[in-house]
Amino acid sequence: MAQKALVEELRKIVGEKNVLHSDVDMQLYQYDACLQERRPDAVAFVHSTEEVAGVVKVCNKLGVPFVPRGGGTNLSGGTIPIKGGVVVEMIRMNRILEVDRANLRARVQPGLFNLELGTALAPLGYQYLPDPASQKAATLGGNVAENSGGPHCFKYGVTTNHVLGMTVVLPDGQVATIGGKAPDTPGYDLTGVFVGSEGTLGICTEVVVRIMRLTEGVKTLLAIYDSIEEGSESVSAIVAAGMVPATLEMMDQLVIQAVEASIHCGLPLDCATVLIIEVDGLKDDLEAQTQAIVDLCKAHGAREVRVAKDDAERAMLWAGRRGAFGAVARLAPSYLVCDGTVPRTALPQVLRKVAEVGKKYDLRIPNVFHAGDGNLHPLILFDWRDAEQKARVMKAGMEILELCVELGGTISGEHGVGLEKIDAMRLVFTEADIHSQVRVKKAFDPRDLANPGKMFPVPAEVLSAR
Amino acid sequence: MHADLGGLQGRLENIVGAEYVSADPEVTARFAVDGVKPGLTVRPGTQDEVSKVAATCSAAGATMIPWGGGTAMGLGNRPSSADAVVQLDRLDRIVEFDAANLCVTVEAGMRLGALQETVAEKKELLPIDPPADSKVTMGGLVATNQSGPGRLLYGTVRDWLLGMRVVLPDGQRIRCGGRVIKNVSGYDMNKLFIRSLGTLGILTEVTVKLLPLPVKRTAMVSLFPELSQATAAVGKVLESFLLPEALDVLNPEAMTLLAPSLELTAPAGSWGLAVSLAGSRETVDRQERDFAALFRDGGGVVTPLQDGRTVPAWDAIRNVFDLLPAPPAQRVLCKIAVSISRTGEMLAAAGALGERLGLSATVVAHAGSGVVWAAFPLGRTAPPEALLAEALEGLRAKAVATGGSLVLQAAPANLKARMDAWGKPGEGFDVMRRLKAEFDPRGLCNPGRFVGGI
Repeated sequence: MAQKALVEELRKIVGEKNVLHSDVDMQLYQYDACLQERRPDAVAFVHSTEEVAGVVKVCNKLGVPFVPRGGGTNLSGGTIPIKGGVVVEMIRMNRILEVDRANLRARVQPGLFNLELGTALAPLGYQYLPDPASQKAATLGGNVAENSGGPHCFKYGVTTNHVLGMTVVLPDGQVATIGGKAPDTPGYDLTGVFVGSEGTLGICTEVVVRIMRLTEGVKTLLAIYDSIEEGSESVSAIVAAGMVPATLEMMDQLVIQAVEASIHCGLPLDCATVLIIEVDGLKDDLEAQTQAIVDLCKAHGAREVRVAKDDAERAMLWAGRRGAFGAVARLAPSYLVCDGTVPRTALPQVLRKVAEVGKKYDLRIPNVFHAGDGNLHPLILFDWRDAEQKARVMKAGMEILELCVELGGTISGEHGVGLEKIDAMRLVFTEADIHSQVRVKKAFDPRDLANPGKMFPVPAEVLSAR
Repeated sequence: MHADLGGLQGRLENIVGAEYVSADPEVTARFAVDGVKPGLTVRPGTQDEVSKVAATCSAAGATMIPWGGGTAMGLGNRPSSADAVVQLDRLDRIVEFDAANLCVTVEAGMRLGALQETVAEKKELLPIDPPADSKVTMGGLVATNQSGPGRLLYGTVRDWLLGMRVVLPDGQRIRCGGRVIKNVSGYDMNKLFIRSLGTLGILTEVTVKLLPLPVKRTAMVSLFPELSQATAAVGKVLESFLLPEALDVLNPEAMTLLAPSLELTAPAGSWGLAVSLAGSRETVDRQERDFAALFRDGGGVVTPLQDGRTVPAWDAIRNVFDLLPAPPAQRVLCKIAVSISRTGEMLAAAGALGERLGLSATVVAHAGSGVVWAAFPLGRTAPPEALLAEALEGLRAKAVATGGSLVLQAAPANLKARMDAWGKPGEGFDVMRRLKAEFDPRGLCNPGRFVGGI
């Protein structure tokens, strides 16, 4: 392909210094944390909606695909330019444009890190709730693209419940403002369709999000168990008792040991699992709720329940959970994150079966997961240099997703389909289901230029044919 | 105008049985939409029958109007064609109630009231309170995304919807989402169909998540001499830690209508601020005290609506338009949606418009959500349609200027003939048109009723 012409055109839009195209640079943009790679033809750093529209128009003119990239933390290959073309680097569009307390909204650019929004809002007494564990490195634009979850979504919902509107550059380069601070914009819910579309329907360049008051009180507990069943049963018991904790997170022994080795947050190394539970809201009943949870956990076999006494202790518990994915990197050179989801009560069953899959394929599979919403993350450990082992990992991963679907769940809770789960789409969807999604893609992107080659297990001709 | 309905009727009878198809003018008259009578009505009994009905209508080129509880049939523009009304009332079964996972799957024709009764047996609740909430069907609720006062704390059904099954206009059956809380497998197709007013297909099954029933519930209403005092109190609440379920501002006309049900005397010209509280005993009691103090500090006179009074009083407040003397056919009901801080302004503007036209407008704002409902009764004193349409367009322009909208929820057909129910389509309309073309290329589902003539 005429890379030179492409680079020339892109330079006219974003300036010479904002276009990368050297071999080394293309190597740096050919991967994320998934197992596949592909070099782009160029990378364009964008700074405004106009620049994004300009870049997309260039891609249209030359018939070149484009892939928006934020933090690249999706773990499903969403940011790999699998058909080449232009990576649109969003990271410099990272401003908070407005915090509108009277309307409980904030307007932000997509390159802003999730944590930075939280950090800016906290001193004002507000928060943005979806909080993926990768929030230090995950951007809001990426959160929109993946419909990110996080520990708090059992009570507060996922990204789509907190995004009210956005400015998008459509795949033909047209700019549209959809949704906004006012609710119920007449027409189809384009905002809702766009959230979770993994960059395949266009590029969002501005996001209107819901902000909420910080809660008056919060209590964080750590329950420690000698069996993983007791932990998952406690989760169901808490929910059955009519409580809606803000978070219900679990880690198993392998993860705990890795976390302790890297973060030293005081987790017992000999236990089977720990459960991190947080309740929040008005302070009046938090003591009572905490006590009820302590009692329930103990009744279901917890050998110890610790209640964080202050913010420092609370932060320590969370540091362990948030650092889990990073810490697991100590255990093996690589791991595959399974992102299957099941109805919460099926957790004990699915965890037993995941362990069986590990035995069958002779693989170690630590588990860290959002127990409240049934989203498990078995992390299959391996060495990427060992091709035979890698093949077993892929088989084991697919088998785990099959298990989730059999138990009434699905193949991805928060990390997206991307490249990695394209084939798994058929586990949950019929031909007609998939084709209906393809219709959406065609309505937005008839030329199949926006992040092509992702999500759909159909030939490219189907996507670009009219 | 109608397609070859003679042949169609027979084919539909073969699918659902003769007793469930009717072309009797007396029956079809009851299913007229904005005065447009359907050629026939058909009542499939299973999702599979819905699929066959759609395929058959589609093959005959017949237009279809899905009909659930019929509670929102006034919404939108006059249909450009209505060959078959597809009634979903026979699809009223629970498919699966998974109480342990706070999740229920029902057929789309199940009424919200019936769903609530079933899940209440396990002390659970779908915390959505749209208008006519006992009669509205789950399919209708999703197709319109109607909400009530509880939107403040709980959002809309959009926030509780986990999955659905849809019959596309050509009869194909598809599934969207699933029954797990987090699901990013492919596009979020639920969002495509929510509030699409049945223009992309017929919803046949809905899965929603549920909430444990709150232990305690109470309410109170405060009267303020001035609107500004009520809106100032709303501002204070939104800045506080308090977590009310609902916070409704009611104009003096609404308060006059409500006074008997609430057993209070509202001095002429008083504005009401009603709050509903739910949760644990401790948090409800504390909020009750805090709200009373906050309202009194702001110049309000507080009436608690406690214990046995809570439910009937709150039901009256939620359904204040049912207390209007003019029958529904003789009123215009508008929903104005604006950013939260503009609700007071729109509330005042709607009331003032009523005064200018000599119509006593009943106006209620879900003040923390940015939704204002205004009802204008049209008696013999009603102004000519042209004048009314012009005035309402003026009110709409105000809402649109702030980034909001005004939608006709119900209005006489002759007013709709002069005024688009939705207003001018916004940005992204090209994509909407292409979505419609992909899913319903021949324009068979609810033609003409939706935004921009879709």
